[in-house]
Amino acid sequence: MSILNEISEKLQAGNRNAVKELVQKAIDEGLSAKVILEEGLLAGMSIIGEKFKNEEIYIPEVMIAARAMNAGSELLKPLLASAGVKATGKVVIGTVKGDLHDIGKNIVRMMMEGKGLEVHDLGVDVSAEQFIAKANEVDADIIAMSALLTTTMTEMKTVIDAIKAAGLRNKYKIMIGGGPVTESFCKEIGADAYTPDAATAAETAVKLCAGK
Amino acid sequence: MKRNMDSWVKNVIASDKRLAMPIITYPGLALTGNTVLEFVKSGKKQFECIRALAEKYDSIAAVTVMDLSAEAECFGSQVRFSENEIPTVIGKIVSDEESISALAVPKPGAFRTAEYLISTELAASAIADRPVFGGMIGPFSLAGRLFDITEIMMEMMLEPEMIKALVAKAAEFLQAYAQAFKDAGANGIIVAEPAAGLLSPEKSAEFSYEYLKKIIAAVQDDSFIFILHNCGNTKNQVKFMQSTGARGLHFGNAVDMTLILPQVRSDMLAFGNIDPVKVIKLGSPNDVRRSVRELLDKTAEYPNFVLSTGCDTPPASPLENIDAFFESVYDYNNR
Repeated sequence: MSILNEISEKLQAGNRNAVKELVQKAIDEGLSAKVILEEGLLAGMSIIGEKFKNEEIYIPEVMIAARAMNAGSELLKPLLASAGVKATGKVVIGTVKGDLHDIGKNIVRMMMEGKGLEVHDLGVDVSAEQFIAKANEVDADIIAMSALLTTTMTEMKTVIDAIKAAGLRNKYKIMIGGGPVTESFCKEIGADAYTPDAATAAETAVKLCAGK
Repeated sequence: MKRNMDSWVKNVIASDKRLAMPIITYPGLALTGNTVLEFVKSGKKQFECIRALAEKYDSIAAVTVMDLSAEAECFGSQVRFSENEIPTVIGKIVSDEESISALAVPKPGAFRTAEYLISTELAASAIADRPVFGGMIGPFSLAGRLFDITEIMMEMMLEPEMIKALVAKAAEFLQAYAQAFKDAGANGIIVAEPAAGLLSPEKSAEFSYEYLKKIIAAVQDDSFIFILHNCGNTKNQVKFMQSTGARGLHFGNAVDMTLILPQVRSDMLAFGNIDPVKVIKLGSPNDVRRSVRELLDKTAEYPNFVLSTGCDTPPASPLENIDAFFESVYDYNNR
């Protein structure tokens, strides 16, 4: 088995230490960071994403795989930066102001990272100003918002209105998701995409970044 | 009021009418004019709301309040309250073997659990025409609130024995809490275990249903039954949910009831699963009527099916939608 396949398999098993060791070994053997990332780590996460979508695995298995991927990608980050390799896209993500629920948002973040996106997670209870400031700071492609409550989902419109007022609406794609959110709500508030689950959110984010 | 719940279950199944038991306690606040904040802190106000709902609507049982933060609060979790939203647990109080081992198991009646027991006692003595069900969280969901739900998802895979020690403490408290509901006069209890819906069927059994099985074996009898609610993707978990011994299973709107009902034993009640947010809170009365009719049509061949909402209905859901829910059941039965 090639070392890249081995990285992918250990990642799928959630074995963080093994992934770290194998990534280091691959670097030492002279493989490029880009190849290790794409054909080892992201290939493994892609299988995880598919299995999750097909209900072959569940949230805990996805989370430990993502944790293993992060351990491997930490080693690659400086090498990727010095080689000028850029992420597939940049996403600023958070749960909107007034809402403290985060597991859905965390799963979306992990799935997006598994697609090679650079994700900046602002956590929960995030204001419009915080979303905009972070997106400007990191030169994001996408602002992604989550809400679990019917009383806080309206905050998504507040964020979009603030983005418009700042003259930035054409700069950022806006994604929304969460329990009460629907496609019709997405249209009503002028977001670019609603996705009903984490795997679709990650796929949609990649498409939106590619289309920019 | 004490009643034989075994006979009640049999009568529900034998009924020639389609029956309903939505979880609508929070929208009931519109009948008593209280805020959520007043409500979750006062057993008397909860009782007034439960009684008002029982007087207005033809539900087969009265259901007390479920906020799923009261139990964690007893263990020491911080809870964020707001005027019109259901309380939420903030942060975590255990993070490793040492803190789990040091965690004291509280007594039922600590903090706001006292209010839920008061509301149950008042409701059980005042409402005579139907059973009164208490409500509490499930052991894995409670452990998730104490440990942080995202982190418990990983640690259960990496340090399973440590997480099981925490679930065991949650279960110890919940067994005593369920017994306290029984002692307060409830005829049963709805146990909400949403976090188990995020797990594989095998892990849900290992980290939740095995513990529930013990709680149910200790507390359930002819006068007091358990209804197990899981609003996650339970399509592949039904046999494990049944193995807990609960007399009823309550399903969320993440699943298609036509895939669930063939799996449920015919002597058990199966509740579900009108979307409480997209239909009851955000939809129109016509949306509610359409959804109820469709679900009743799809489930017509299952006498053990009881129409319900897929989860707790959010506060401030329009009462006209609740009216439409019950009118649709009435119309269906009188076609």
